[in-house]
Amino acid sequence: MASSLRLYLTCIRNTLEAAMCLQNFPCQEVERHNKPEVEMKTSPELLLNPVVICRNEAEKCLIETSINSLRISLKVKQADELENILTKKFLRFLSMRAEAFQVLRRKPVQGYDISFLITNYHCEEMQKHKLIDFIVQFMEDIDKEISELKLSMNTRGRLVATEFLKQFI
Amino acid sequence: MKTTTRMAFFERASPALKHILLQLYRADKPPAVEHHLHELGSLQYHVQSDASEPHCAYMSVSTPLLSTGYSISGELPRYTLETVKGICPEVVEIVEPPRSGYQLTLKLTFTNIPRKKDAAKIITEISSVHAVILSSQLRELLRSVNEEEITQGTYKPIKLVYHPREPFYVVKQPEKLTAVFPIRFKEESDVVIAKAFFQELVNVGSSGGCARAPACYWSPIPPAELRGESIQDLSTNGGFVSFEITARHVEGKKLDKTVWNLLNFNALVKYHVKCTKGFVQRRMRSRLDSFVEALQQTSTKEDRPIEKVKGRARVKKLIKFTRCTVLMKRWNLKKKIKRIRSRLRIHGFGKFQRRWLKLPSFSSVMRYQKLDKS
Repeated sequence: MASSLRLYLTCIRNTLEAAMCLQNFPCQEVERHNKPEVEMKTSPELLLNPVVICRNEAEKCLIETSINSLRISLKVKQADELENILTKKFLRFLSMRAEAFQVLRRKPVQGYDISFLITNYHCEEMQKHKLIDFIVQFMEDIDKEISELKLSMNTRGRLVATEFLKQFI
Repeated sequence: MKTTTRMAFFERASPALKHILLQLYRADKPPAVEHHLHELGSLQYHVQSDASEPHCAYMSVSTPLLSTGYSISGELPRYTLETVKGICPEVVEIVEPPRSGYQLTLKLTFTNIPRKKDAAKIITEISSVHAVILSSQLRELLRSVNEEEITQGTYKPIKLVYHPREPFYVVKQPEKLTAVFPIRFKEESDVVIAKAFFQELVNVGSSGGCARAPACYWSPIPPAELRGESIQDLSTNGGFVSFEITARHVEGKKLDKTVWNLLNFNALVKYHVKCTKGFVQRRMRSRLDSFVEALQQTSTKEDRPIEKVKGRARVKKLIKFTRCTVLMKRWNLKKKIKRIRSRLRIHGFGKFQRRWLKLPSFSSVMRYQKLDKS
């Protein structure tokens, strides 16, 4: 793993560890409502300052925290056109199947490629440190998967091109 | 173990037609059959064998013809018919007039096939009649290019239409022939995948392994040879792919293969794009499963089974046959019970009741009425 990536991921991990201290907190505005404050933003006193961690201009992570929920938004690097469409396709594919993930948001926050929403209920159901591991692993795997997909596509293209040109020989 | 990769999509002989003809040839008593085949969108075959002529079959072909974009006639030209006759003169005989709705009908006499060993080869050649027709047409089109143009050095591109929406150009020069393909796609993602493929095509073409293959180029703007063509034909989103065909690539039997490959280049690109998209989808699906598995391991409940992500496959509802339901269905007991319990009906009584015995409406105790603020 590149040292810059390791630093980037460690920084995100530390920030998440600090931010993920969520507790049950009913809505202050509407009786018998309990909604993620990071989404509703009804009371400013329940929100913490959002943190943006950037590796470079193309790769960044936004962590927004509130008393009962946490929102993590990721921007994945897209070096060229092919990576761009692969990233879009892949992340859209995951977002469409958000019900399988529980913590995945159906629509990413504007300016980012994918968003997670973790509430206090998720923290009760799942182990906190494993959840953080999952987020960090997800970030690593997405990069790896897109690079692998790009490589495989080029390999397939090369094979087809070779077979096509061989027909003329 | 040696593995050979074949591009089945590019086989000149139609696999289905070959299969049918081989079956007819190998049968001791060929049955009376009639087959209709549709291939590559608009290509049609009709194969018929009759019990009265046991070792003969009639094969009819209807194919879109290669044209220069201006004149499209339904009949096959004479030079094409001559080429088709040349496939195997003892076995193939052209029937005049062809079957209605088809351009060419051939009578195949299987008893005239010289040796059993040659049968498969000859039938393969007969099955590739479509490719033979097209290659003869292109050969003739190129031959008919005005010799004056070549001597004067003005090389006009010939617009060829095989698939109506995908015309391509051929520029005949003294030493080489350039085939230019304008590439168009509806979706932006298809364009990106196709561009990556063209990049690989150019790289492979310039590498040592395929040095004898035609030189291949890709450019986002129209090449200089197409100067003067209409803007409508030159507006693309996938750029232009050019192949430089030299004399080496059209020697003898290679000509047919080269023509076939050029005519199907557009189809190959589209097929590759489609397959690549399918491949990406499969990879994403398998990756999704691993992500879900990783997330489920974070659960605090240790013995929770890992759920697999399911698609939208329909689940068949199982019908339960209990004794009660069987009885109910058999005797239709529900209706019978209803009929027994129903009150006596007097014709027109309902109307009378609504008209004369209507109770005045009053507010319910359970309901409340919202009071005005004023």
